[in-house]
Amino acid sequence: MSSIALGQYYPVSSPVHRLDARMKVILAILYIVCTFLCKNVLSFAALAFSALVLILLARIPLRVILRAIRPILFIMCFTAVLNLFFVKGENLLFAWWKLQIYVEGLYSAAFMLLRIVVLIMGTSLFLTYTTTPIALTDALESLLAPLRLIRVPVHEFAMMMTIALRFIPLLSEETGKIMNAQKARGVDFAHGGLIKRAKALIPILIPLFVSAFRRAEELATAMECRCYRGGSGRTKMTVPHLHFRDFAALLLVIGFGAGILYLNRLGIGYTMP
Amino acid sequence: MARVTLEHVSYTYEPGTPFAVKALDDVCLTVREGSITGIIGHTGSGKSTMVQLFNGLEKPSEGRILLDGKDIWENPKKMRDIRFRVGLVMQYPEYQLFEETVRADIAFGPRNMGLSEEEISARVAEAAEIVGLTAADLDKSPFDLSGGQKRRAAIAGVMAMRPEVLVLDEPAAGLDPRGRDIILQAVADYGHKTGATVIIVSHSMEDMAVYCDDIVVMAHAKVFLAGSRDEVFAHAEELRSVGLDVPQITHLALLLAARGVRLPKGIYTVEAALRAIENLL
Amino acid sequence: MKEAFIRAKDLYYTYKEEGQEPVSVLRGLSLEIQKGEYVAILGHNGSGKSTFAKLLNMILEPDSGELWVAGRELTSPELTEDDVYALRREVGMVFQNPDNQLVATIVEEDVAFGPENLGVPSAEIRRRVDEALAAVGMSNFAKSEPHRLSGGQKQRVAIAGIIAMMPNCMIFDESTAMLDPVGRREVVETFEKLNRERGITVITITHYMNEAARADRVIVLDEGKVLMDGKPFEVFARAEELVATGLDVPQCTSLVHALRKKGLVIDGEPVTTEECAEMICRALEEHHGKGNA
Repeated sequence: MSSIALGQYYPVSSPVHRLDARMKVILAILYIVCTFLCKNVLSFAALAFSALVLILLARIPLRVILRAIRPILFIMCFTAVLNLFFVKGENLLFAWWKLQIYVEGLYSAAFMLLRIVVLIMGTSLFLTYTTTPIALTDALESLLAPLRLIRVPVHEFAMMMTIALRFIPLLSEETGKIMNAQKARGVDFAHGGLIKRAKALIPILIPLFVSAFRRAEELATAMECRCYRGGSGRTKMTVPHLHFRDFAALLLVIGFGAGILYLNRLGIGYTMP
Repeated sequence: MARVTLEHVSYTYEPGTPFAVKALDDVCLTVREGSITGIIGHTGSGKSTMVQLFNGLEKPSEGRILLDGKDIWENPKKMRDIRFRVGLVMQYPEYQLFEETVRADIAFGPRNMGLSEEEISARVAEAAEIVGLTAADLDKSPFDLSGGQKRRAAIAGVMAMRPEVLVLDEPAAGLDPRGRDIILQAVADYGHKTGATVIIVSHSMEDMAVYCDDIVVMAHAKVFLAGSRDEVFAHAEELRSVGLDVPQITHLALLLAARGVRLPKGIYTVEAALRAIENLL
Repeated sequence: MKEAFIRAKDLYYTYKEEGQEPVSVLRGLSLEIQKGEYVAILGHNGSGKSTFAKLLNMILEPDSGELWVAGRELTSPELTEDDVYALRREVGMVFQNPDNQLVATIVEEDVAFGPENLGVPSAEIRRRVDEALAAVGMSNFAKSEPHRLSGGQKQRVAIAGIIAMMPNCMIFDESTAMLDPVGRREVVETFEKLNRERGITVITITHYMNEAARADRVIVLDEGKVLMDGKPFEVFARAEELVATGLDVPQCTSLVHALRKKGLVIDGEPVTTEECAEMICRALEEHHGKGNA
């Protein structure tokens, strides 16, 4: 049996996992705002501390989190270098030829790095690691429900997401099968120039599309047979309820934001503009 | 003479992880040259994994696979040549069709072999004839064929490479009785016409009883029984004990024997049962 | 007389696709199916059996003819959209490919899909989903992902999805074709149980003669019309005709007919292999008894 990891959901039981998905979307947004509120050493220290607490609460191993950060390593380096060399200040630390590094630049680079890391970690911890893709889809559908008033097909988008999530493992398995079938007929994917390799994809892509369309058609018929007619008049088996813990988490994050604002005003060390 | 030999072959999915599953466990097997050999077993018995080992789509975790006595993994760079010699028809092969015409699709394999145009068209014509596709069918788009015809076109695409060993995974799955007979007959014809060795993986004991010379029964990643059709069906009771469906007529013969009717062992066709009961009259 | 659950009269249907020859698949099909029956429909590919099934819950509409299902005239011009959905709730359909009919990524969510569409209250959906999963023996897999299940298990989930809509009739459109023998048995046993215990009308379209032999009634379609209609043994007695239309006869039935031709007197018509063995045994004893006497 194939086991294709869908998204990055990390199945453990933790206080963060148990939070309502809708609340987690809101918390993630608030937490992102918090990272942008931080201005000085104290508030950034608090941010770093909060991130550590969050990791422990969500019970996600550090190596898993580092994996999420790897793809943005380049952006992080780029931002750090940019800040390091281009933020001008009053305290010159180092100068060589045309390069000048100020203490302010150093601070700024460190702050920006921290901000990006916490930003990515925060969203991952609140959303992708601790919430199943399907719960996330449902949460977005219900949070975006008001958009229906301006005729945004929110339900339809959510349905599309759900079906995509259901069919991605199937289609990826199917790709493997078709590749094997064409390999058995002598297609060589591993050798040759770019054009030759691109051409070798045609025998994969056409059957894959044909199959995807066939599946789509059959699924549409099956859905019609099960009385699907869009979002109106639909009920849900599980109606999520907000619990005390969800409101507690909300208060905690709002309180954290207020704390950051307070720390910013203490004016210790370098303060970002 | 042995055409294909599996020597102590094991295959493990996701080795070294907690999800490790042993799909094949120390399997030894020989397939006789020119035979039609059936491989039968439950889903998960390892037979579908085995199919992908024959032409090197998967590499055994342990053991060797010999084609005419030579290890197919001796030179992995030459694996494509092995794949032309050991043709594989996967399950539901109609999903691999992609060309504009049936003719072009059947020609796809031979073209990858680098054959001349004359040779290619000769092989396409030959393969189409074996599976019973007409010249008119060859000019159609593969997507306009009926389900059974699509299946036949896909199988012809592998036959046109003229493999010495033709391996088919559930070639008749999901077809109606006539479609099933046409395909299995075509596969048997290919074997008889070209002298190739044919390996058919199937769930259907009834089909196996009609078309195969030798039968290999897989259970729990191991070879449970192997031998000629007569030898294997003589063990009908054991087959039922591992939950495999023997042909209905074999089951009937067993039930009659249990009720004291004296029947010979190894009845697997209606004709044989009829003859045996007639002898009692 | 009781009103038939399904009454088809002189149905015609032709597939028309742009740029292609129209294919006429139903050519004057007429039949009746009573409530609670267990019917197998046989026919070679292209005989019109799947098309007929699709007419029954209005996935397709006939070109002409009359079709009554569950007290509704489907061919009436006055039929409203609500009627169509009411019909689909009552007449559920399970298709061939188990992968292409499951919508959700979690088994119980998928079973809930139908009742959710019908606007059933949440607590009631929960009850129905649990009950439906229990009925198909899949309660332990409620939280599983469909793509980790076997084919037979997926089809049972699909069946549960229909049961949760509380249908009176279920159509199985080659639902066992893609399964291995174990999966096939699981599915057949499941719908036989539903037929027996809940009186759900079961119509199964199949290529497997052994499956058809288990039904109360077998209908053979050919060229878009009913070719044979009767009890399994009556239909399978016409072996030559069946083979001529591209079908088969279960091996036991073949043997019984062949033995009769050789002069053995076999009473009754066997359905299961056990019955067949019993009958042949008895016939042989009588035969020898007569010989000795």
